Formats: sequence, C-alpha cells, structure tokens
Amino acid sequence: MYDILIKGGLVVDGSGAPGYAADVAVKDGRIAGIGPDLAGEARRVVQASGRVVAPGFIDPHTHFDVQLLWDGAARPALEHGITSIVPGNCSLSLAPLRAGDRKALIGMFQQIEELPPEAFTQAFEWTWEDFAGYRTALEKNLSINVAPLVGHSVIRIWVMGAEAQQRAARPDEIAAMQVLLRECLEAGAVGLSTSFVDVDENARPVPSRFAQFAELDALCAVLGEFGRMLQIVPEFYDTDITIARIDQLAELSLKHNIPTTFSPVFDSHLTPNNAPRTLARVAEQFARGARVWPQMQTRPIDISFSLLRPSLFFARFPSWLKVLRLPLGERIAALSDPATIDRLVADTGPDEGVQAMGYLIVRGGDQAPASTVGRTLGEIADERGETPARTLINLSVEHGLDIAFLAANRGHDLTERIGPMLANPLVHIGASDGGAHIASFATYGDTGYLFSEFVRKAGVLTLEGAVKKITSETAEIWGLKDRGTLREGLAADIVVFDPDTIARGEERPVFDMPGDGLRYIRDSVGVDTVVVNGEVAWSKGEYSGSRSGAICGLN
Amino acid sequence: MSALGPAIAAETLAADAVIVGAEIAAGHDGSAELVLQIQYENGVVAPVVLDQDTGLELMRACGAASLPGLIGRSWREIFARTPLKEH
Repeated sequence: MYDILIKGGLVVDGSGAPGYAADVAVKDGRIAGIGPDLAGEARRVVQASGRVVAPGFIDPHTHFDVQLLWDGAARPALEHGITSIVPGNCSLSLAPLRAGDRKALIGMFQQIEELPPEAFTQAFEWTWEDFAGYRTALEKNLSINVAPLVGHSVIRIWVMGAEAQQRAARPDEIAAMQVLLRECLEAGAVGLSTSFVDVDENARPVPSRFAQFAELDALCAVLGEFGRMLQIVPEFYDTDITIARIDQLAELSLKHNIPTTFSPVFDSHLTPNNAPRTLARVAEQFARGARVWPQMQTRPIDISFSLLRPSLFFARFPSWLKVLRLPLGERIAALSDPATIDRLVADTGPDEGVQAMGYLIVRGGDQAPASTVGRTLGEIADERGETPARTLINLSVEHGLDIAFLAANRGHDLTERIGPMLANPLVHIGASDGGAHIASFATYGDTGYLFSEFVRKAGVLTLEGAVKKITSETAEIWGLKDRGTLREGLAADIVVFDPDTIARGEERPVFDMPGDGLRYIRDSVGVDTVVVNGEVAWSKGEYSGSRSGAICGLN
Repeated sequence: MSALGPAIAAETLAADAVIVGAEIAAGHDGSAELVLQIQYENGVVAPVVLDQDTGLELMRACGAASLPGLIGRSWREIFARTPLKEH
C-alpha cells in the first residue's frame, strides 16, 4: 500500500521535459512510482486533475536560521511550495558559536533579519555551540528540508573572538578556521557563506569583511575537499567591483574545483548596463570552466518608509527632508503646524500629491489602523475628504508617525528585461532573502510570482522551464542529493499546484513573531498540496504538523 | 570607505566630474537609494548608487534640499566633504 497516491495530474518532473499525464505514488518517504493509472491502494489519495505535480521548490538564499528553531516549516515559505531551503547566507549562521559570543551575533542577525529581541531570548533554548549541535537542535522540529551554510563571520568569531571584527587573521588562526570549517562540513553544512557588504547593528563591518584573500583561499581549499559551495555577497551597488568579485570567485572555483554563487543581481532602468555587464562577465568565466552562479530574484523591489525617520523617497520635494531630519518631538510639532503642512503639501504639486503620492499603499506599522492597511493613500484621502499629501501627514501624526507606506515596484521591475535574464541558463533564480528584512517587506512568494509574471503573463519561460529553474537546477548547483526531480527512488518532495492561478498573495502585516513582533508576509495562491519526504506538510490552507523535514543529504 | 583626502584640492577638481542626473530607486533592503549620473571630464556619463544613509548625508553635506539641487554640482567636491560611512 502506498502512503500517498497523487492521481490525474500533469507531471512536470523538473528535468525540463514536457509535462505528461500520470499518477505519482509515494511510499516510505520516496517516490514509489510514476505512470498512468497506477494500480494499488493508498492511505491518502490526492486528486490532481487540472493540476501540475512537480518537485518541491528549492530556495537557495534564506535567513530562516533563527525562525526554524520555533517554526520548522519556515512559514509561509512551505505553503508556497518550497520544500528545501538554504539558510546561513551572508556570512551569518547560528553555529559554530560559543555561548559567550551569542550577544555579538544576535546584533548582526537583528540587523539583517529585523527579528525582535524576544526571538533570541524567549522563542528557543540555546543548546549548542558547535555545528553538529545546531544540526541536532534543528532536526527536532523540521517540516521543511534544510541545507545550512556555515557563516564565515561566526567561524572568525570562534577562532579570533572580538578581534574577528578588527583585523586580518594570522596564519595559525587561518589554520584553526580550516579545521573548524572541516568539522562543520562533516556535520552537514552545504558550504560557506561570506559577505563583503554587511554590517552589524552599530554599522560596523561584519567579521568576514576583515578577511584577506589568503584566508578565503585557505577556506576554499577546505570546501574543495568536499566539493561544497562558496556563497558571497559582493559590493552589488558597484558593478565594477562586482565584476572583480566574479573574477575572484572564478579563480577560487577553478583552483579548488568548487561551485560559487553570489547575490543579489538587480536590474534597474536607471542603471541599465549593470546587470547585463555582470551577466556577461559570468558567461566569460563559465566559458573558462569556472562555476560562478549569479542569483537573481523574481520579485520587484519596493520602497518602504514612514515619517519616523528621513527617507530619500522625499528627496524630490524641497521642504520635506529638512522637516523629517528634526528630532522626533520637533518633527511631530512641525508636522502638526498648519503653515508647515501647507508648505509641505505645496511641494508635492498643484494637485497636492495626487500624482506623487496617491499610489502609495498603507502597508502597516505597529500603529496603522486595520481599516487603512492595503489601501492606497488616494483612496484613504478621498474617504477623509483630503488630498494625498495631507493624508500622509495627518494619518502619520495621528498615530505617532508609525504608519508605514509602500511605493511598489520601484526597482527590478521591468519584466521585459528581467524575464530573459531569469531564463538565461547561467542565472540561478534565488536571492529571495526569505526570513530577512521581515519588518520592512515580505520575502515570500517569489516562486508564485515566477509563474504568474514570467510564465503566464510574459511567456518568457515555459512551465517546464520555470519548474526546472527552481528544482533540478538548484539541486544540481548545490549538490543536494536525491532532490529536485520527480523520479522513482528519489525523495518525495512534491508540490501540487494550479498552473493557471499560482501566484503570490497580497502583502500583509502580521504579528506572529515572538513577542507579538511585526512582519510582512504573502500567502500562497494556487498551491494545493505540499509533500515533504513523503508526508503531506501543507494542504489547502492547513499545515499538517508533520515533522518530516530533514537536513539535506549532499552529493 | 574613506572620502578623498584633504590633500586633494576640491577646487582643482571641481570641473572634473559633475552630477548631471539624480533619481530615487528602490534598494534591496526596502529603503530608497540615490542614483546619481556623473559626467566625468572625458565626457563619459556613469551611474553611482548610494544607499539611503549615504545619500541623505551627501544631500546634507552639499546643502541640497531636493534632487534638483544636486544637478550641476561638482561630484568630487561633494565627495571630498561627505563623511561616508562604512557600507
């Protein structure tokens, strides 16, 4: 008897081959059969008529490290069809880490992830110091598969203590880092992450940024013993430096026979040559035999701001920044002063912000009235009998300035340019940042957006091509054993979805972080069922509570 | 990252590179970024992308109330007196 029989779906197996009608049987965590009208009984039958049956999606760039300790499903990633994630990016992981160094690392994590302090003090118990211990702690609670990177910054902290954030390492320290990295890889780390841009909560460079090339080279030599991945964040705001990093990665890849990956790569109409130049250099290095995978996200980038601090969003309006730079009390007083308001409003044009601000969306903030969230400023202004600029000011002042606004799709938003890049065989779809920046914007639903925008709307990718991009290609790039393809004998990570409706839901604020902390999420749309290692983990809006997730085995 | 050293006379370089465009774009962390178009002495125009904090500091340093106030300014002069933070 099968555990699960998925009947009547269109099997898109992740290879890129055309989909075909077939049933999929699952037993003992593995795919037990694929074929038309499979015979045999099953404990659970999933009707998939009109649906696609595909390998579970793999997200190669996340920061779910902390969340996984109280939420083994990495919600809401799982319900979007993601069955495997890679945390530990950007030089930061939760292990190896001595107890005395936790405070320093928490600051760095909070800077990137924006998790509330309670996430580190109330939501879980620190039971580990080494990577194997962290793995053990994770494995108790997983509903999703995890391929964790080990962070270069924490390796430095372990070996050098506070000096990790002050200086280059001595040869003996580099040797100690090599030993430590080897232990982490033996304990299941999928690779090493490092960063050339990230900062801690005090705007100090994270420890990895103090490493000289010899240190990175030595660590890559250890990666080479295992054939594991080096992930980096280059100086992505400067294309020339990014290209230099690509060259550096290529040398490391060739010398140590390792895969490397970097992110993010963004496209902008303001800097239209940047992404093409970056990808051209990648192509040159692949032609030499190097493996330097650029990660590109599917979703556009939004600008998020409130009047609690100055935002460059207001740099177009002459009077605004001066007011927004005032200390909070004086700022609120100024924003309550009729003459100042008139001046600010006048700056936004004769229509008082209808064009310049009416499209803004009230996205949340701790004090945002529920009746305003998700609506445009223009709509709310009409309802209040005001103009958008006046409503932005008045609504903010009425709630202590803690109202967050969103200017949607202000970067990486030109589908006609980004689509062909995503379809490029050398571009690795990823960089979702899932679990990071949680109080600024939602990092979930990029896979749904891939299908809705680039398969259905733009037609730049076929259904099969899109599935391949986020399943078998990802598994192959990262060396994930037995995942990413629907084939008999492989791990039964499966997503059943409606190809006509799969998408990302609207962004919405929720207060489900420890300490009732705020984050923004997107619900899945068009995903019916998600199977992880042969157990239904999510179906039709409900998490099953299964604990079938695992640390990914590696090739 | 450090600014140009004081040994470089801003006046000497003022004509070398000029801001000819300034726009706001979305940064990867959800904040706004300042995208400047700089025209260099050889005529080449190329972008420089500054994160929000650096962009705000630059505008403050050169006394620009808004984006149009940046146009025509000497890039090197502004750069020399803007205390850029570590990224």
